[in-house]
Amino acid sequence: MSTVTWITARGLFGRRRFLLLLPLPLLLVGLAVLARGLAVAPADWGPPVLVGLGLAVVLPVVALIVGTGVLGAEIDDGTVVHVLTTPLPRWQIVLPKLAVAAGVTAVTVAVPLFAAGLLADSARLGLSLAVAASAGALAYSALFVAASLLTRRPVLLGLVYVLIWEGLLSNVIGGTRVLSIQHYVIALADRLAPTDLLGTTVTAPVAAVMTTLIIVGATLLAIDRLRSFSVAGETS
Amino acid sequence: MSEPTGVIHDIGYQRYTGPRLGRRHVFGAMYIHGVRTAFGLGRSAKAKIFPWLVVGIVLMVAAAVTAIRSQIGEVVMTYAQFADAMSWLVIFFVAVAAPELVSRDLRSGVLPLYFSRPVPQADYPLAKLLALITALFLLLGAPQLLMFLGGAFTADGMGAVWDELLDLLPGLLYAGLWAVVFASVGLLVASMTGKRAFAAGGIVAVFLMTTPIVGILSVLPSQAANQLSGIASPPTLVQGVGIWAMRDLLITDLAEGAGPDLGPYGPVYALAAVALVAGCVALLLARYKKVAAR
Repeated sequence: MSTVTWITARGLFGRRRFLLLLPLPLLLVGLAVLARGLAVAPADWGPPVLVGLGLAVVLPVVALIVGTGVLGAEIDDGTVVHVLTTPLPRWQIVLPKLAVAAGVTAVTVAVPLFAAGLLADSARLGLSLAVAASAGALAYSALFVAASLLTRRPVLLGLVYVLIWEGLLSNVIGGTRVLSIQHYVIALADRLAPTDLLGTTVTAPVAAVMTTLIIVGATLLAIDRLRSFSVAGETS
Repeated sequence: MSEPTGVIHDIGYQRYTGPRLGRRHVFGAMYIHGVRTAFGLGRSAKAKIFPWLVVGIVLMVAAAVTAIRSQIGEVVMTYAQFADAMSWLVIFFVAVAAPELVSRDLRSGVLPLYFSRPVPQADYPLAKLLALITALFLLLGAPQLLMFLGGAFTADGMGAVWDELLDLLPGLLYAGLWAVVFASVGLLVASMTGKRAFAAGGIVAVFLMTTPIVGILSVLPSQAANQLSGIASPPTLVQGVGIWAMRDLLITDLAEGAGPDLGPYGPVYALAAVALVAGCVALLLARYKKVAAR
């Protein structure tokens, strides 16, 4: 475990505001338990909880807060200089931070999704959701870490992607789903445990290839941007 | 040893002798500044990107709706439905504007400067709230006005224009309701943190994570829970109030059971909306009492 990993993890967990991440997963499990306890048919509560809340809100929002927090927060308050002035290759800075972000996101999202999937259908659905969400967590984290190096307002850029691209456009124009991590996750989970609770127009092979491409591409982009990173004060 | 020759130079300090404008003007200045901040006016081009992206999209949608209506004659959405259709963009706009309005001041520690003026403590948050409400109302109202102009110029006769106007006014009222509810919730969340990034994430989380609760409540086996489900989330709460007050304008689908069924609980929705806004404003004022005391 490198020092950068350690610093990043402490930066995330050391503040009280990390507790703000807890309500989202708790809500996910709570709603699943409530619906199960009142004997609502899984076909009715599965899609809104698993997809509507779990994959469309909890996963991207947690990934956004964590992913922009690991590097963006340091850039924001200027302490990134301390890491950049060490004789570390840039990839040794980006990769540990990405690993922490993806790991934290995956744990925060996959555990409640597993519980919800278990309550909805079977342990297999739960496991497949957890696996797919972890892959999605890695992709989202890579994207948002890269975004925090491309712009000074990474959260807003991330929100444009999550809200407008994935939320608004992929419901209206089906074609944009080919470029939507949310639909990759749904496709992967559906492939691992076929049920009628999950449905998308993206095929599993396309989803797997595109997820890998996004992870590799965004990571390389982040490393490249950090290589020529200029530290500037806050503007506007 | 010569005599000390000290001189006091007159460097031109003067007392202010002009008129003191007082509280109303301070409030007005904060309000105008707030509205301009929400749209990034008077700031660098970078601060304008996100607000004007949203403005551009809603105006484009309005233009498309108007064009379709005048060319094909099909009403894609009424004025009141426009706000509902744009809900995601409204949430995004709140997430952009609310942190700009309050989080920056918290972060840079300029609040003591505001409160060292003869400004009553409540004026600062209220001016910011009013500014955000105005910005949201403009965001939702301007496209409706565009649609109205398009409709009015293709209508035949003054009577048709008058009918358009009667359709537009409830739509604008409904947009005002959206603006009040979303601004008070969003500003409260944003005032909790000085980090704009966290404030934006928090606002989106609050608005989005409440929506699936509605989905669950509406499939529970209890009819009362189904009919009250909309209260759990701001967008559906506003929609519920709208449906209670002006059902015909919001639901144009004539099929039986179209749109959410409120049952006898319409007034409950209205009360819940009032309570939500009042609660948020009270918490906001309490928050600034605490911040100002520091």
